[in-house]
Amino acid sequence: MKLLIIEDEIELLIAISNYLIKENYLCELADNFAGAREKLSMNAYDLILLDISLPDGNGLELLTTIKEHQEKAGVIIVSAKNSSDDKIGGLDMGADDYLTKPFELAELNSRIKAILRRRRFEGNSVIKFHEMAIYTDNMLVSIHRKNIKLTKKEYDLLLFLLINKNRVLTKETIAEHLWQDNIDMADNFDFIYTHLNNLRNKIKNAGGTDYIKTVYGMGYRFTDI
Amino acid sequence: MKFLTKINRSYFITLTIVLLISSVLGYLILHQVILNETKEALLGKVNLLKEQILETGEIPNLYPEIEVKKIHRLDKQEAAFKEIFIYNAEEDEMEPYLEYSAQEKIDDSFYSIQLRQSTFENEDLVVILALTMSLLLLFSFVILFFIGRRINKTIWADFEQNLAEIEHFDFNDKTDLHLVTSDIEEFDRLNRVVIKLTLKLKSDYMSLREFAEDASHEIQTPLSIARLSLDEILQQNPGKEMFEKIVAAINALKRLSGLNQSLLLLTKIENKQFKADQTISFINVAKRKLEEFDALLEMKKLIVETDFNEDFIVRMNHELAERLFNNIFSNAIHHNQKGGCIKIQIKKDEFRICNSGLSNSLNNETIFNRFAKDNSKSHGLGLAIVKNICNTHSLDIHYTKYDSHCFTIQRNTYK
Repeated sequence: MKLLIIEDEIELLIAISNYLIKENYLCELADNFAGAREKLSMNAYDLILLDISLPDGNGLELLTTIKEHQEKAGVIIVSAKNSSDDKIGGLDMGADDYLTKPFELAELNSRIKAILRRRRFEGNSVIKFHEMAIYTDNMLVSIHRKNIKLTKKEYDLLLFLLINKNRVLTKETIAEHLWQDNIDMADNFDFIYTHLNNLRNKIKNAGGTDYIKTVYGMGYRFTDI
Repeated sequence: MKFLTKINRSYFITLTIVLLISSVLGYLILHQVILNETKEALLGKVNLLKEQILETGEIPNLYPEIEVKKIHRLDKQEAAFKEIFIYNAEEDEMEPYLEYSAQEKIDDSFYSIQLRQSTFENEDLVVILALTMSLLLLFSFVILFFIGRRINKTIWADFEQNLAEIEHFDFNDKTDLHLVTSDIEEFDRLNRVVIKLTLKLKSDYMSLREFAEDASHEIQTPLSIARLSLDEILQQNPGKEMFEKIVAAINALKRLSGLNQSLLLLTKIENKQFKADQTISFINVAKRKLEEFDALLEMKKLIVETDFNEDFIVRMNHELAERLFNNIFSNAIHHNQKGGCIKIQIKKDEFRICNSGLSNSLNNETIFNRFAKDNSKSHGLGLAIVKNICNTHSLDIHYTKYDSHCFTIQRNTYK
């Protein structure tokens, strides 16, 4: 899977690419408008991460170049602006998603995976993990080939954990993923616990293993061990 | 008062005064002229009369116009004019006459002559004058009215158009103010001043707006780097103590960026950067939020009572409508005790969210202030944002406390 990361802030660029390389993506980097345009016209990418505020040009203009040369590529716009105008404008111009800074790597990963699933659905729509399978097309989950019934939030939670397996996710990160910024009550993240418990029980009742480990009561990790 | 009305009014007043004065003057002059003419006519008649007596020796008598009597000798009485009234039987009224009485010696005989001529009745004079003046007044007004209408159509049309343009001018629009130039110097001067002022204001406003946004965006990038770096350390299996500290740091950074975004939102609302271009049904918003917060409600064992009588429909930005409802509703959840209840009431012109919080009555004056904090970890901007959204959308918000804490949002009717 080949990615192009366009981001003018070098430290951010490195942090993102290091993480994505660990996630087994092939990453190419561009830290300015001209360089990004050159790369876009030369190579084919599966996904492009696009920061729209570049020092030498507006990233939104790159979307036209992307349309020309990268038909198959998915595009995630990364912006410091949480403005719905930019969001709608970017999505109208063919971007698949819009991520506002600051964001979590786990969140970025889950968005990338979602787009790749949508873009290349042949065989990619099923995520398997031991006895567990998630059918993302129709949002079904099966344990030992038997479907289990999950609520929308439980499904989202399981998918988020599985996609970011082996990674510690704090309660806040999970809450942010599930409810975006609609819930801004710092001391109420305990309700994630309720959701997680329900999910664990449903998996265990279907004969599955509980892969969700609690980390110091502050975070969770979906893991083999 | 419209400019034209004002001008017409002062025209009318001046014209009336001028006409009144000229009527009085006219009356006095006319009266004098008529009197003089009559006197001359009477003197002429006396000569005619003398000649007739000389030629024919007859003494003519024609009451009341001519009265001649033979007298024995001349008195010392001099010839004089007198204004008198004589009863007219036909018209049953007293009529004014000018009388000339003299004593003359004709052919050795002495005569007392009294000649009279009917003069204008004063009332008639006044009536004629008043009539003439009123006609003049009316005539001037008809002309003024038509001139005014013409001016309105030509000269004032441009002015009105420019005024409408200025009235609808929005600093958030990308286009500048465009005013029609006329050939009237004063208007063009005004236009130039207005255009200069708006350009200056607009550039000031834009730079302020950009500064607020840029500053806020610039803050997000270093925050991103800090958060990503801390998150990486979190993944390296630090010990419990370290783990807790890192999570605390990450959460503090999250609060900081949340605060930053809220402040930016507040600025954008105050600058009216959100166009009220959507029709929002608050029943739909409420239903969506109830679904979103379902897990939280369940966890706190909160009972939600809804009373959706009629929909509260407002023209506003979708994002702001969600934010408005969200902030009040999440407050209602947050400041509630386990097993408490929340009431959502939506009517045609208001919606109300009540919660059975334990705390004492809040201060209606200060709760909507920025950074009005209670004991919680929130940044105290939630209600300030709500208040600002209300202010910019002709909505009123107020807090009341009876059995429960209630926030009511109402259409602002007296606007």
